Amino acid sequence: MSDIGTKAQSPPTPAVRRRLPGGATASVLKRAAVTGGLVAAAIAVALIKSGSGLVVWQSVVTGLLMGGLYGLIAMGLTLIFGVLDIVNFAHGALLAIAMFIAFGVVQGTGLHPYLTLLVAVPALFLIGAAVHRGLLGGTGGASLENQLLITLGLSLLLENGLLMFFGAEPKNVALPGDFQFSLFGAVVPGARLYAFLGAVLIGAALYWMLRRTRFGTAIRAVAANRPGAELVGVNVRRVHTLTFAIGTACAGAAAVLAAPLVTVTPTLGEQFNITAFVVVVLGGMGNVAGALAGGLLIGLVEQLTTIYMGGQSSLLGVFAVFLVVLFLRPQGLFGRRA
Amino acid sequence: MSARKLAAGLGACAVLLAAAGCGGSAPSGAAGVAAGRDEGPVKIGALHPVSGANAVDGQQMRRGARMAVEAINAAGGIRSLGGRKVELETGDTQGKAEVGQSEAQRLISAGAVGLVGTYQSAVSTNVAVVAERNRVPFVMDVTASDAIFSHGYRYAFRVQPGSAAIAGAAARYLKEVSERAGKPVRKVAFLHEQTDFGSGAAEAFTAAAERLGIEVGPDISYDALTVSDLTAQITQVKASGADVLAVAGYYRDSLLAAKAVAAVKPALNAIWGVSNGAYDQPKFVTDGGAAAERIFSTNYHFDAQSPQTRALRADYQRRYGAPMRTGAVLAYDAVQVIARGVERAGTTDAEKVRDAIASSKVEPLTVGTGPISFAPNGDNRDALPVLMQVQGGGVKQVYPPEKAESQPNYSVTWRS
Repeated sequence: MSDIGTKAQSPPTPAVRRRLPGGATASVLKRAAVTGGLVAAAIAVALIKSGSGLVVWQSVVTGLLMGGLYGLIAMGLTLIFGVLDIVNFAHGALLAIAMFIAFGVVQGTGLHPYLTLLVAVPALFLIGAAVHRGLLGGTGGASLENQLLITLGLSLLLENGLLMFFGAEPKNVALPGDFQFSLFGAVVPGARLYAFLGAVLIGAALYWMLRRTRFGTAIRAVAANRPGAELVGVNVRRVHTLTFAIGTACAGAAAVLAAPLVTVTPTLGEQFNITAFVVVVLGGMGNVAGALAGGLLIGLVEQLTTIYMGGQSSLLGVFAVFLVVLFLRPQGLFGRRA
Repeated sequence: MSARKLAAGLGACAVLLAAAGCGGSAPSGAAGVAAGRDEGPVKIGALHPVSGANAVDGQQMRRGARMAVEAINAAGGIRSLGGRKVELETGDTQGKAEVGQSEAQRLISAGAVGLVGTYQSAVSTNVAVVAERNRVPFVMDVTASDAIFSHGYRYAFRVQPGSAAIAGAAARYLKEVSERAGKPVRKVAFLHEQTDFGSGAAEAFTAAAERLGIEVGPDISYDALTVSDLTAQITQVKASGADVLAVAGYYRDSLLAAKAVAAVKPALNAIWGVSNGAYDQPKFVTDGGAAAERIFSTNYHFDAQSPQTRALRADYQRRYGAPMRTGAVLAYDAVQVIARGVERAGTTDAEKVRDAIASSKVEPLTVGTGPISFAPNGDNRDALPVLMQVQGGGVKQVYPPEKAESQPNYSVTWRS
């Protein structure tokens, strides 16, 4: 069902090789081409509907820039889901924690916002490890209700903790020397471009880690066949904890990159949670490259929806696409059938 | 199995989000009326959201109400009752309509002769029902919705100008200020959040503007809960050829809109906040930086020219280390209205207090055309929305001329 998240019944080695995350096989390329074709059609319709090339072009640019960020937020989530089978509803709240860390460090030390990556990412890594060891260790593959209650409860706890310590007053993380430029008439704010590039870079790093490192192989082995991995001497518990920590650290990186773009409030995670889950399913659960592609798609759909149906929530279009994809390809656009 | 799990999870997520957005309104049963005790302090109930997403404003308003009570006691309490002291009974609505309702019931049972509150229209709607059933006067400080006054309630009063009054004033001021500047407004693009608040403001503004011969369009709305970029929407404004952009939104999204305008630089003569949650806040000036400069906002406001208001705000700043917002000044006014009602009635009998409030005139610390006095439906007939503008890193009252601290500057920073 997913690229790294299936408890495969087949022998581990060939299965792992076949289920490479986002493996660029011909069939994936074909699906990407179909998706691209549909997106092109959607843009053409938007062009007819709005009658202004500039409006559509700006929507496409903004959609892709936003999409990169969605992809980055979803990457951590999809990793956790694919390997640990945990639906982590605290992801948004952890994102908010990281934003407040970034805010606090910038306020306290005057450091450049992007340098807070050096603090926020390790901090979130540790928090992730602690949360997994302390709260979720025993729930891998356990009942849905347990995970749901634990992660939802954790999310409420974190949000209200932030509210208690920082107050409800919205915070801002200003980017010094922020700039913008025009790309064929569309405005590209520098902070958004950095966030987008950061997302692509981190996505590539994760992909490389999963594909090329010993640890990545261990993660994929554990995901594909846990007993098998245990038999060949992989410390499954450790891999689980580290995976959760890496996924959470991704939320930390996403938070720092997004902080200059948003108003930081304790409940900010809610804003991204639902979108991130949709992206995870669209991209194929456990598929890191798919998360990035899904993020870009959702960013585009969201912006085009506002052209199609001005007055409605952009989530309407997002969920319409989500339902169609679930119906036609329940394993996600880039996922594989189990 | 995994897909099912995720789908169930997403469902739960959606339900939670929906639950956060709306509150039910179950009418409670028997009402224990205990208002109007004959001895001890005279109790006034204050209902505000001191926890939850609007906690900042809720806390401000509770403090404003408390300062009014302290001022009344310092001046000798209720004289017609032999100097009986006033006491503030507080309740936390958490921003939820049903919590506000039960808290209102509790405060009335505790002997409150009147209630002030609540900041959110949905909560006030529920509290008004409780007040009506218990025959206890309810003086609203911040409540924008005009719908509450369509029920013919006898015990509901309001100090702030309603949303239709603000939107109407916004259209009128826009016409006058733009004509004085020699750049008469032609076409207004309206950007607003999509719930009752933003859509209601847009509708009322459109009706008023069209009566004045101003074209309004396009009408662009967005979801304030999820929006994280408004660049595409502002590009739409740019393409429409409108010369003014009106914005009705909450803090976070209105800030996004201001930043998007600074990035896209459409050919506008002005940005015009209508009941806007950001554009008259000191915090917006800091957060928005250059993007905030010269943005207009039509809204209710504390009276920046009144020496009493200035003294009160200075006192607040000293005690709480933050600027006193208009909501808190409105809460101060609302408490004054009830205390004056008790004073004039010479009794804590709620019915008589209600009649005294309905016919009283109270000097406000918020902007008005005269003392607070209520129309037969309970709305403050002398409330006056003012036009403010961010000028030189501060929010200034600029219109109408008799309330102006500074001249309106009808231009934008990115065009000469």
